[in-house]
Amino acid sequence: MIVRQMRSELRWMLRRPRTLIGLVGLCLVPIVFGFGTWLATRDGDGGGGGGLEAILKGNGLVLPIFTLFLSAALLLPMVASIWAADGLAGESQHGTLRGLLIAPVSRVRLLGVKFFGLATMSLFAVTLMAVVGVISGIAFLGNDGMLTLSGNVLSGWEAFGRIAFFVVLVTFQMVSIGAVGLAISACTEHPLVVQASIMAGLIVFAVLGSLPSLDWLHPFLITNALPGLVDVMRDPIPTGQIWDSTLLAGCYLIIGLSLATIRLVTKDS
Amino acid sequence: MTTSTSVPVTSPVVSTAVAARTRGLRKVYGHTVAVDRVDLELPEGAVLGMLGPNGSGKTTTIRMLLGLVRPTQGEIELLGRPLPDGAEHVLPHVGALVEGPGFHPFMSGRENLLRCAAFEPLLPTGSVKTAVEDALERVGLAAAAHRRYRGYSLGMKQRLGLAAALLVQRKLIVLDEPTNGLDPAGTREVRKVIADLHAAGTTVMVSSHLLSEVEATCTHVCVLHRGTVVAQGELSDLLQAGGSALQVITPEVELALTALRQARISARPLGEGLRVELTGTSAPAVVETLVHAGVPVHEATRWKTGLEELFARLTEAEESEHSLSAVDTLDGGASR
Repeated sequence: MIVRQMRSELRWMLRRPRTLIGLVGLCLVPIVFGFGTWLATRDGDGGGGGGLEAILKGNGLVLPIFTLFLSAALLLPMVASIWAADGLAGESQHGTLRGLLIAPVSRVRLLGVKFFGLATMSLFAVTLMAVVGVISGIAFLGNDGMLTLSGNVLSGWEAFGRIAFFVVLVTFQMVSIGAVGLAISACTEHPLVVQASIMAGLIVFAVLGSLPSLDWLHPFLITNALPGLVDVMRDPIPTGQIWDSTLLAGCYLIIGLSLATIRLVTKDS
Repeated sequence: MTTSTSVPVTSPVVSTAVAARTRGLRKVYGHTVAVDRVDLELPEGAVLGMLGPNGSGKTTTIRMLLGLVRPTQGEIELLGRPLPDGAEHVLPHVGALVEGPGFHPFMSGRENLLRCAAFEPLLPTGSVKTAVEDALERVGLAAAAHRRYRGYSLGMKQRLGLAAALLVQRKLIVLDEPTNGLDPAGTREVRKVIADLHAAGTTVMVSSHLLSEVEATCTHVCVLHRGTVVAQGELSDLLQAGGSALQVITPEVELALTALRQARISARPLGEGLRVELTGTSAPAVVETLVHAGVPVHEATRWKTGLEELFARLTEAEESEHSLSAVDTLDGGASR
């Protein structure tokens, strides 16, 4: 039963034109980055080319990590917020939430199905970006193995292992923000409110995170958790910061889902 | 599905088999009292018409009955279980179309129904597809099932909503204004669907502000006004309770009025003759009185109280406080 509901949820998400457009858009990111870097490195050998280009040349496997890292700040949370918004607020807006509740789907299970959809689609989107990133990286920049921040070169499966690990970490960050989105989504029937709140929240967090006088607050800001994930590119991987970031995302996830549950269970619809 | 027969239960008050029952239902939104002191009784196998002007609390009552909204006060019993706690056990047996059809515009009618069907607990996975096709066929939407919901006409949307309620064989079907936006042919089809459900023993609850609709399809009526039930019971009982009148066509109106007044029969001029209330008297007695007084009676017609008149009187009564004067002002509108 629940498998059928989850399948239906995924089919519903994938049928949405905005989901497909969003996924295509996400795939373009690593391609554009790869092409841009290729343009920059093509004839930049001479006059002491920029550090970034120098690192990336022949180092195509870094491209997926590089693009995911940049996208994880705003782009991926935005996509997650769209899915969270459509999941509850959007269904409420179309009057379909009523139908599901009358079916009936218990409210807790409904949230479970929605979270499953969000998490699966997030993992799918991040993986897709990584795959396109690998292809684009190898095509535009070549592959001489993965140059780590520690200076040594990882080859073959080890490099792919790092990419996979990074995919999981970024997905988790994305899903944790999506969970907060679900909590907002349970409170409104306007999907735009959810997206706007998440975007505004991320921007405010980024500003707060940049104010040194508020450094006591920084360990609690999800936006400040991202830079720590770059440790994936060191060899051996220092686990401290990665663990802290993931723990923080986990807290956001639990708080988000708890609030969403509390709201959804008592909601009049 | 149900044990009851297709014959409506004779008396809703003493009947033991009740599909839905509410006691002292009250819902307050902020400072607005949407529904108050609603004691509803829906006998098993009946077709209950919930009648009320816009904003009288029909939809709120239905939403509470389906566990969508938590009542501020009061108890709800649906198919023998209290709500909202028993929702998971009874709601699979309940099909509903509430507050208009709700579907996703980017999916086709069939895809929308498939999604609804996936969440129906009583539907085995193997028969999801056939259930969807059957429901589409039943509401006459099979030919348009592949088209996007976005492009559906209001009537088609309404039909799809009805199809979702009919996906599984239900014990109770709740339809909130099912004929909204339908053309006469569509309205007839909905009536037929309701009649079929009734014949199969399914309990049906229909809300409507169209009186003719309720009169045509229902066995029981419940009239809501300003959030409370002002009348409920069997349709035939309520119609009789409304009393009836006799329309007498005569050129001698003044003479007739005097004669009737002497016989203590209430009457008043109307059109080409007069209208005589048949309270405490009968049609032959009235005609006899008139003929004895020498009034030429050209025509005497029994004026049956339509539900329309009853409805109008019930809903207007509270505003004017004096129900009799309300009857007087509304007589012109009753065309039966």
